[in-house]
Amino acid sequence: MARVVILGAGISGHTAALHLKRRLKRGHEVIVVSPNANWNWIPSNIWVGVGRMTTDQVTFPLRPVYRRKGIDFRQALAVAIRPEGDGDRESGSVDIVYTDPTRLGEEERLTYDFLINATGPKLNFAATPGLGPDGNSLSVCTAKHAEQTSAAFDSIVDALKRGERKTLVIGVGHGTCTCEGAAFEYTFNIEHELCERGVRELADVVYLTNEYDLGDFGVGGMSFAQNGFVTSSKMWTESLFRERNVRAILRAHVERVEPGVIHYEQLDGTKGTLAFDFAMLLPPFRGADLKAYDRQGEDISDQLFAPNGFLRVDADYAAKPFEEWTAEDWPSTYQSVGYSNLFGIGIAFAPPHPISRPRSTPDGTVISPAPPRTGMPSGVMGRVVAHSIADRIERGETAPLHKASMASMGAACIASAGAGMRTGTAAAMTMYPIVPNFTRFPESGRSLKETTGEIGLGAHWTKLLLHYLFLYKAKARPGWFLIPE
Amino acid sequence: MDDAASSIAVAPLPTRKTLRARSSLPYQVMRFVAFNARMLRMVRKGHH
Repeated sequence: MARVVILGAGISGHTAALHLKRRLKRGHEVIVVSPNANWNWIPSNIWVGVGRMTTDQVTFPLRPVYRRKGIDFRQALAVAIRPEGDGDRESGSVDIVYTDPTRLGEEERLTYDFLINATGPKLNFAATPGLGPDGNSLSVCTAKHAEQTSAAFDSIVDALKRGERKTLVIGVGHGTCTCEGAAFEYTFNIEHELCERGVRELADVVYLTNEYDLGDFGVGGMSFAQNGFVTSSKMWTESLFRERNVRAILRAHVERVEPGVIHYEQLDGTKGTLAFDFAMLLPPFRGADLKAYDRQGEDISDQLFAPNGFLRVDADYAAKPFEEWTAEDWPSTYQSVGYSNLFGIGIAFAPPHPISRPRSTPDGTVISPAPPRTGMPSGVMGRVVAHSIADRIERGETAPLHKASMASMGAACIASAGAGMRTGTAAAMTMYPIVPNFTRFPESGRSLKETTGEIGLGAHWTKLLLHYLFLYKAKARPGWFLIPE
Repeated sequence: MDDAASSIAVAPLPTRKTLRARSSLPYQVMRFVAFNARMLRMVRKGHH
């Protein structure tokens, strides 16, 4: 009988756990280790951040779901992986420290036959002095952060109602951030709420980003075929900024956030400051604080993880210029190179390189988006790795691994631009593939038929539909597996 | 005016007809169905 340990219960880890439990016969163990007691549908945090939803609407407790499905849940933080075992023990193991209030601080070493690292990102607020809820800016990365941000936004609205002018800055808090799509969404939700609450005129809304052009979104932008022309996400996004009177500061690396003032540098090396009354700035990501040790206890973290802390998998990590990047660089099985029973999925795997063209200032400060790994591909990775492991448990080590490269996978991105069943709006985008493949699609790297964008109320309904569908699926309600990732 | 501001200043604005279409219930019901069908097709094509 085999034991599969999954580190992390976000979109990818939770999806992998549910599929594994469904596939494996009784007797096999599936253990999920997560420091958080709740599951969070993160794409809806932006609505918590403007007071349109509550934390309870975007989260639910994991323990009852896992109890019902027969999955062993440990509310704990993984601190070290021992892929070769330790001492006399050959099987791999992982060291965990409980965050469960009933076992707080207790340490345990869990052995495994297969390990999935789905630890997601560490929110690296420390990369920028003064960034984050413990510093001088706000965040919507967790439901709790979004709740705090919503309260701060209410205070701003009150001040606007008193006739005071206010500057609201939304964007990213470092030159290497990802998730520009979430910052874009929150910008336009804020703008929409200001209109709905009748205080838009006194508010200056500013989008501060590390993107080279608007509409880059960390995927190098997109090309769409519309009305007989090939148009770009740049023009499309700029149109929305003009229509909604939102200012933008591009190609920026935030150096520090002081109370009420953001200090930033731009690609050409110029430095600037931006005074604010409200600032929601997303942090850069890095891998979880996990160490790795060999059987003798020597630190092998450098072999297992990339410098940014993400797990190295079956990607081509050789450094090469942008012009030589290919779709084949991207991983497809998410299996660790050195250890065949170890996998990294979701945000936890190390991408071979960005998707957007890398750029830096004359002084060498990198200002370009890191590649996004959104819910859709993260869920797919969780499913394919679950099937790979289930096949190897049932059919042996020669069973072929399932594949899902971001260079052959499509994604839908619904960027909300305001909530409301009659007044809401969103930008609905599909792209295929996520990572451009210029061999298959020489014109723009992506299929012009499958890469689309449109703005409207219907897209808002789709975002709302996905909110309810994915919460239903994550709660493992009847037929959950019929809802595709 | 910096690059971003000058670029935004000349971006195309949607016409009244486009704005009406973006919030028109019958039209948006059709777009909702069309977009979800496209998304499902892409999921089937790209995810398996």
